[in-house]
Amino acid sequence: MLEAQHLSLSISDFSLLQDINLQLKSGVVTAIIGPNGAGKTSLLRLLCGEMKPSSGEAIFNGIPLDQWQPKQLARILGVLPQGSPLNFPFTAREVVMMGRIPHSTGLEKDTEIADAALESVGGSYLDKRPYTQMSGGEKQRVQLARVLAQIWEPDERGDRVLILDEPTSAFDLAHQQLTLNIVKKFAQQRVSVVMVIHDLNLAAACADQLVMLDCGKIAAQGAPEVVLTTALIEKVFNVSASIGVHPNRGSPLVIV
Amino acid sequence: MLVASVLYGLLSGAADISPSKIFGLFAFGHLDMDHRILQMIRLPRVLLAALAGACLASCGAVMQGLFRNPLADPSLIGVSSGASVGASCVIFFGGASLIGGGLGLPAIAIGAFVGGLLATSVVYRLATSVSGTSVATMLLAGIAITALSGAVTSLFSFFADNEMLRRISLWQMGNLDGADWSRVAAMALAVIPLILILPREGQALNAMLLGESEARHLGVAVEKLKRRLILLTALGVGVAVAVSGIVAFVGLIVPHLVRLLIGPDHRYLIPGSAILGAALLLLADTLARTLMSPAELPTGVITALLGAPFFVVLLLQQRQKIVG
Repeated sequence: MLEAQHLSLSISDFSLLQDINLQLKSGVVTAIIGPNGAGKTSLLRLLCGEMKPSSGEAIFNGIPLDQWQPKQLARILGVLPQGSPLNFPFTAREVVMMGRIPHSTGLEKDTEIADAALESVGGSYLDKRPYTQMSGGEKQRVQLARVLAQIWEPDERGDRVLILDEPTSAFDLAHQQLTLNIVKKFAQQRVSVVMVIHDLNLAAACADQLVMLDCGKIAAQGAPEVVLTTALIEKVFNVSASIGVHPNRGSPLVIV
Repeated sequence: MLVASVLYGLLSGAADISPSKIFGLFAFGHLDMDHRILQMIRLPRVLLAALAGACLASCGAVMQGLFRNPLADPSLIGVSSGASVGASCVIFFGGASLIGGGLGLPAIAIGAFVGGLLATSVVYRLATSVSGTSVATMLLAGIAITALSGAVTSLFSFFADNEMLRRISLWQMGNLDGADWSRVAAMALAVIPLILILPREGQALNAMLLGESEARHLGVAVEKLKRRLILLTALGVGVAVAVSGIVAFVGLIVPHLVRLLIGPDHRYLIPGSAILGAALLLLADTLARTLMSPAELPTGVITALLGAPFFVVLLLQQRQKIVG
C-alpha cells in the first residue's frame, strides 16, 4: 500500500500541493482528476519519490519512500511518464526489456516477460521496429509495455504500484479501452494503480476511487458517483455539466 | 545470441584485418633493419593509434549516451580543446626540462585530464535540462569552449619560443609521430581499465537514454553514474589528447557506424566502438604516413577531412527529423 500523509509541496514560496492525504490500497485503481495546474503531475512525482515533499511523507509498504533502496523500489514500483525523450533507434523489444533492468531473472525469463508485455498492449507487431520510426501512440504503448514488464510479477518485497501519467493521451478509442482493461487486470492481481487522466468518463469507467484536485488541494475523493457531481464539476472545472448513467456499466457519465 | 555473434564477427574481423595490412606493408624482407623498424617505430605507433582510436571511440559512445544525443563528440563539444589547453599549460609552464625528463608525459596527461574534465562539466551543465539535451546549446557551448581554448593556446604560442611553438602547433594538429613504448604504456594504462569498466555501465546508460527520471525509476543511481562517466571520459580523452593531440571525429563517426551495424545497446556499442575505433584510427594513421611518404601528414588532418563531411550529413538528417 502506498500512503500519502499530509503531503505538501512548495517551490520558491509558491505552493503547489497542500496537505494531501491518500490511501492507495492494493487492488484499487485510483484516478487523479482536475483542471490544468491543479497539481496532478506534482502529486504523482511525490508519490513515486521523484520529488521530495516540503512537508509530510509518502509511505510505501510501511517504509517511508525515501528510505527505500532505488533498486529494490524499482522492482515493485513502475512509473510511466508523459513522454520519453528517447532519441536512439532501439527496437520495441529492447525498450521493453529495459523494464527488466532492476530484476535479475535471467535473459530467457526477461524475454518471455517482455514479449508478453508487448503483446498485452497490442504491440507484438512492433517487436523489431526502431522506436524512432514509431507514431506517438505506438511509442506510448511501447513505454507502457516497458513499465508493465517492470512490475509484471508479484515480488516478495511487498505490494506493487503502477503510476501512470496520462497513459491514454496519445491513444485512439480502441487503445484507450485496451489500456483501461490492462489497468483493471493488474488491479485484479493486487497491484495498486494510480493514474492522472483528463477524460472524466474514462476515469469513471475504470477507477474505483477518484481524487479530484483543485489548486493543490483535494476537492473531493471517493467512488466516482460521489466525486462526479454537477456542483463539484462546476466548482472545480468551471463548466456546467449534466451527470447521466452509463447504460451498460452503470458508472456516472459526464456530459458537458 | 545473434547480436553477440555479430559482435564476435566484428571483433575478430577488425582486429585481424588491420594489423595484417600494416604488417603486410612493412614486413616484406625479413632483414634485421626491417625488424628493428618494426619493433621500435611501427609497432608502438600502430599500438598507439589503435589504443587512441579505441579510447576516443568508446568515450564518444559514452558521451552520446550521457548527453542523450547522437551528435556528441569529444572534439565537437569542446572537451578535446579543453584538454589541449590543460596540456599546453603544462608544456608552457613545465618548460623544456620537464618535457625532456621522464615526467613530461604524465604531467601533460594530468593537465589534459583536468582541462577535459572542466570542459565536460561546463558543457554538460549548459546543455542538459530535464527534457533532454539541446543539440544547439551543446554545439554552441562547444564552440564557446573551443574559442576560449583557442585564445588561451594562442596566448601560450605568443609567449613561447620557437621550439615550444613548433611542439604545441604540431601536437594540436593531432599527431601520432612521437610514438614510443613509454607513450604506448601510458595510453594502455589509461585505456585498458577504461575499456573494461565502461561496458559495465552499458545497461545503466541504456536506461539513461529513456530520460533521467525514467532511469531513476529503473533503479539507476543517476547522479553517481553521471559523475563517474564524466570523470572516466575526461580521463580517456585527456590521455588521448596528451599522447596524440586533437584527433577529431573518431568519437562521432565510429559509434554511429557501430549503431547502424549492431544497434544502439550500449553493452555492445561500447566494445564495438572500441574495436572499430582502433581499426579506423589505425587506417587513418597509415594513410597519413603513406599518402605523401616519406613526409607525414598529421593524423588529425585525415580524420577531420573524413569526419567533417560525415558530420554535416548527420546534421542534415537531424534537421529533417526536426522539420518533418
